[in-house]
Amino acid sequence: MKIKALSRSKASTTRETQGDLRRQHRNLDPTYHPHQRAREYTRAVTSAKIDRMFAKPFVGDLKGGHRDGVTASCMSRNALVPFVSGAGDGEIRIWDLAGRTLVQDLPGAHSRMVTGLVFANDGQTFYSCSDDGLIKSWNVYPDASNMEAQEWATLHGPVMTYRSNNVGSFKNIDYHRSMAQFATASDNSVDIWDPERNSPLVTFDNLWGNNVDTSTVVRYNPAERNLLGQCSMDRGIGLFDTRSGSALQKTVLKMRSNCLEWNPMEPMNFVVGNEDYNAYSFDMRRLDRPTTIHKGHVGTILCITWSPTGREFATGGYDKTIRIFNHRKSTAREVYHTKRMQKIFTLNFTADNKYIVSGSDDFNLRLWKSNASEKIGQMTAREEKAVQYRQALIKKYEHLPDVAKIHKSRKLPKLIKKQTAVAQIQKESRERKHANRVKYDKSGEHEFVSETKKVVVKKVD
Amino acid sequence: MSHLTASHGKKKDDIGGTNLIARGDTEGVTRKKHKQLKEKLADSSTSDRERISNYLNNGSTSGFNNTKRRRNYREDDRNPRNMDKLNDHQKRALLKRRRYGNKEIKNEINRKETQRLEAAIAAADAELVLHTEESGFLEVENEMEKTYKLTQNQLKPFLDEQTQRHIFDLRLDQYSPYRMHYDRSGRCGLLLGKRGGHVALMDMHTMALKSEFHLNENVRDATFLHNTTMFAVAQKKHAFIYDDEGTEIHRMSDHQDVYQMQFLPHHWLLSTIGRTGHLKYHDTSTGNLVSTHRTKMGACDVMTQNPYNAVIHCGHMNGVVTLWSPANSEYLVKMLCHRGAPIHSLAIDKTGRYMVTGGADSQVKIWDLRMYKETHAYYTRGGVPTSLDISQRGVLGIGHGCHTTFWGPDSLKYKVKDPYMSHNVGGMGPVESVKFRPFEDVCGIGHAKGVSSIVIPGSGEPNLDSMEYGLNPFQDTKQRREAEVRSLLDKLSPNMIALDPDVIGTVEEGDVHTRYERQQQLEEEANEKRLRDGEVKKKEKNRMRGRNKIKKKLARKQKNIIDENLLKLKEAREQEKAEHAAAKNNEAVAAPTEKAPAALKRFFK
Repeated sequence: MKIKALSRSKASTTRETQGDLRRQHRNLDPTYHPHQRAREYTRAVTSAKIDRMFAKPFVGDLKGGHRDGVTASCMSRNALVPFVSGAGDGEIRIWDLAGRTLVQDLPGAHSRMVTGLVFANDGQTFYSCSDDGLIKSWNVYPDASNMEAQEWATLHGPVMTYRSNNVGSFKNIDYHRSMAQFATASDNSVDIWDPERNSPLVTFDNLWGNNVDTSTVVRYNPAERNLLGQCSMDRGIGLFDTRSGSALQKTVLKMRSNCLEWNPMEPMNFVVGNEDYNAYSFDMRRLDRPTTIHKGHVGTILCITWSPTGREFATGGYDKTIRIFNHRKSTAREVYHTKRMQKIFTLNFTADNKYIVSGSDDFNLRLWKSNASEKIGQMTAREEKAVQYRQALIKKYEHLPDVAKIHKSRKLPKLIKKQTAVAQIQKESRERKHANRVKYDKSGEHEFVSETKKVVVKKVD
Repeated sequence: MSHLTASHGKKKDDIGGTNLIARGDTEGVTRKKHKQLKEKLADSSTSDRERISNYLNNGSTSGFNNTKRRRNYREDDRNPRNMDKLNDHQKRALLKRRRYGNKEIKNEINRKETQRLEAAIAAADAELVLHTEESGFLEVENEMEKTYKLTQNQLKPFLDEQTQRHIFDLRLDQYSPYRMHYDRSGRCGLLLGKRGGHVALMDMHTMALKSEFHLNENVRDATFLHNTTMFAVAQKKHAFIYDDEGTEIHRMSDHQDVYQMQFLPHHWLLSTIGRTGHLKYHDTSTGNLVSTHRTKMGACDVMTQNPYNAVIHCGHMNGVVTLWSPANSEYLVKMLCHRGAPIHSLAIDKTGRYMVTGGADSQVKIWDLRMYKETHAYYTRGGVPTSLDISQRGVLGIGHGCHTTFWGPDSLKYKVKDPYMSHNVGGMGPVESVKFRPFEDVCGIGHAKGVSSIVIPGSGEPNLDSMEYGLNPFQDTKQRREAEVRSLLDKLSPNMIALDPDVIGTVEEGDVHTRYERQQQLEEEANEKRLRDGEVKKKEKNRMRGRNKIKKKLARKQKNIIDENLLKLKEAREQEKAEHAAAKNNEAVAAPTEKAPAALKRFFK
C-alpha cells in the first residue's frame, strides 16, 4: 500500500530568525475565502468612509491676499511657481505658489479694476487689462537691462502700455497659444494685438452685423490657430476667424454667459458658465445644443478652469462654492466652500493637476486640492497600492446606496442646501405642469422637448 | 466652416487618446480579447476548465442563480409587468433602452467580463505555481488490499516521526465523556470534559497543554471565537467566555441552557441554541444580542454552520432540519430529512454544496443543498451516527457507537461501496465527537474515556494561506494582532447572511413598478405593526358642537371598554327578561286549574 500523510515542520513554514521576512503562503482556492463579495462590499463602504475622512481639500491661502476683491488671476503656461492676481482696486500681485508667498505687489498698476490677466508663452511676460482702458505688459522675473526704460520704480514693469482709441474699458484678454499675438474683449470691439505695437492690429467691431455689442470674454482655441471664441452681452457665444474677421457661428442662450474655456485636450469642445446657474459644454461643430448641462450651482457662474488633463473642470461663482465637474457628467463630483469665502471671481488649475487656486470677493486667494482626499507628499509603495485599491472598490460599488450615500453626499451650507431644495421643487413643479399640458391640452402645441434643446434660443450663422 | 466639419468623425474625437488613457482598451480591442479568452477556455482540458470556472464564480455554487438573475433582468425590460403604471419619463426611458440598448453600459459590462475572465485564468495559472504542497493519500497496490482494513498500528510505520506523534490516546476518566474541538487554523485544540467541566487548551504543534481549568459543573459545548485567545463554553445555566489562560471574561446571561454553539468568523457572531429551542445570535465584537429566533421545535442539540454562506442549520427531534439567518425570524428552509427519527448529527462541506445528516434510524444521508434533495445514503452498523464531520478535502467522518468510519471524498458526490478508513475505539466508546483538524491529516475523536487522535491521510488541505485571517497555523503574535484588526475592519453585517451570498451588491430583480409595489407593501406592513403595537394613537375625530366635550369623549371611550362584570350583568339581565317573558306566556296559556292533576290542585287558588 502506498501511503503519504501531510507533515509540516515548523522550520519550513516560519522564518528562521527575527530579522527575516515572514514566509508567505497562498491558497487561492475560493472556498477558503468565502463571502468574497460581501467582504469586498464591506471594504468598499469602509473605503468610502476613509475617503471622506481624509477629505481635507483646503490647503491654505496665499499670505496677505489683496486689498480688494480678487478679480483676475493667471497661472504661468510653462512653470508651476509663478502666479499673478489682480484686484478691484487695480493692484496686481505676483506670487510664488510653491511657498504661497508674495513676491511683489504692484500697487496702482491700473487705476480701475483689473479685468484680465494672461501669461505669454515664454512664461515670463504677462499682460493685464483693466476697466481703465489700458493694457499693460509686465515681467515676472525682473530684467536688469530693461531698468532704464522703466517709467515706474518697479523692476517688473510695466514694460509696455497699450491703448485703443475707441475703447473705454477692457473686459478680457487672452494670449495666442503659439504666436506672439493677443486678443482683448472690450465694451466696443474685439481687438487683436501685436505685443510689439501699442495699437491694435485688427479691430472687430461689427462682427454680427450690429456694432453695439460689448464682448465680455475672448478665448483663443488651443489647436486652431485662428479661431477665437467669444461671449457677449447680448447672451451670445460666438466663434470667428481672425484671418478674415468673418463670423463663423453664433448661438444665443436664454441668459448671458460669463466665461468660456476651451478644453485643453479636446480643443473642439468648450464650456461656458452662465447666469442661469448652469455650465454648458458645447461642441463647436454643433452649437445648436449643448452636449452636456452641468448643474448644481445656485448662483451665477463667473469663472471656469480646465484641469490640464481635459477630463475635469472647476467652476465658481456667486453661490460662494467651487464645484468640480467631470466633463461628461451633469452633476459635480466635488463641492468646496468655507465659512468666509465670498463670491468667487477667478479660478485656476495648476499645471500638475493637483491644486486649484481661487480668488474671491473677500480679498483672498485660496489654494485647494483638486482631489480632496489625496495625500500631499511622497507615499510609500504600499500606501499607494492601498489607495488605488480603495479607489477601485469605490468605483466598483459607487452605484450601490450604502457607498453612494457616503461617497457622493457633501455637507453644504444651510443656505445653499435650502436653495438647492427649492430649485428642485420648482423644477419638479414645472415639469409636472408641462406634463399636464402635454396630456390634456388638445391643441397639440405642447410636447416634450429635451432639456438640451431648450438652452439655445437662436443660432446666427 | 468646412475645415471644422471635416474633422467630425468618431475616432478623431479622441484627440491625444485621452479616452484611451483613462479607460484602457477600446471597445473593439476588449471584444476581441474576450472572444480569444473564451476560445482559450473552450480549448483547455476539462480539469483546467473546472479550475478556471471555480475562480470565475468565486467558488460559488450559484452560477445558475446568476444566469437566472441576468435573464430576469432582461425579461423585466422586455415585458414590464405594468407598463401603464410607469410614469411618462420611465416609459420613455424604457422604450429608448429597448430600442437602442445602452451602448456605454454594454461596453462597460463587456470590459468587466473580460477583466473577470482574465483574472480567473490568471488565478488558475498561479495556482499551479503557488500550490506547491500535495495532499496525503492511501493507495492500494492490488485488489486484495482494502484501505478500510488499515489500522492505525499498521499505518504508523509508514509515517514520519512527526506525523506518528499525532496517533495517541489520552485516557481521561474523571470528567468524561470528552469532546474535542480545533480552531480554524488547526493550531489549538480544546478538550472538553462534559461531566464536571474540565476544559483544557492544547497547542497541537508542540502537543503541550497551554492551560486547563475545572468548572465544577457540567458543560455541554465550547467553541473558539475569532482566534485562539478566546473561547466560549456552554455551562449548566449560562454561556461563558474565557480567555486562553482560563480567566472568565464574560457571563452571557442572554444565553441560558445552551446545548450547541457556533461561531461565524466573518460576521463575528456567536450563535447558540439549547433547551428552549431559541436560536440566538450574539455579536462578539460589540457585545450586542443581534437576534433571537424561536424555532418552535423544542430542545435542539444539533447545530452546525454552512461555511459557504454562514447560514445556521439546526437538526430537530422530529427529523427536520431548519436553516436560519439572523435577519429572518422564520426559518429560510425546512427539510424533513429523517422521517420519524430524531436528527443526531449534521455536517456541511466547505463548498456549501453537500449537507450530511445522521438520524436515529442509523441512516447517514447526503443532501444536495442546491436542490435540497437527498442524493444517496449510507447505513451505519453498530450504533446510530452521533457525530459527523467533513474534512477540508471532503473526507466524511462518522462516529457511531464505538466506531468511527471514514468515507472518501467521492462519497459525497455519489454512493461509494466501501469506506475509506475506519477506526474502533473499542472499550473507550461510545464516541462523543469526531472532528478533523484543519490543514493536517488528523482526526480528533472525543469519547467516553477521553480523547484519541488518529491519522487519516488525505483529509487535510496541504496548502496554507497566510493572508486569510485565522487560517494561518503558524502565525506569530504580531500577525495574530494584525489579523484581528483587519478582520474587524472587514466584519460583515449580520444582514448579509443569505442563502445566496453572491446576491450582495447586485441590482434588485423586477421592474421599477414591481419594486415600488413591494416597497409599499413593506411600508404598509410596518405601519400596521406600529398601529398594533400601539405606537401610534388613533386621533379622536372632532364631532359637532356640543358633542365634543371632554366628558362625553371619555364616556364614549368608556363605552367601548369590554368589562367582564358588565357583560355578566348584561347577560343576567337578558336572562331575567327572557324568563319574565316566558313566565308571562305560561300564565296566559296554562291558566285553567282544572287541567292540573288532582294531587297538585292544592297549589292553585
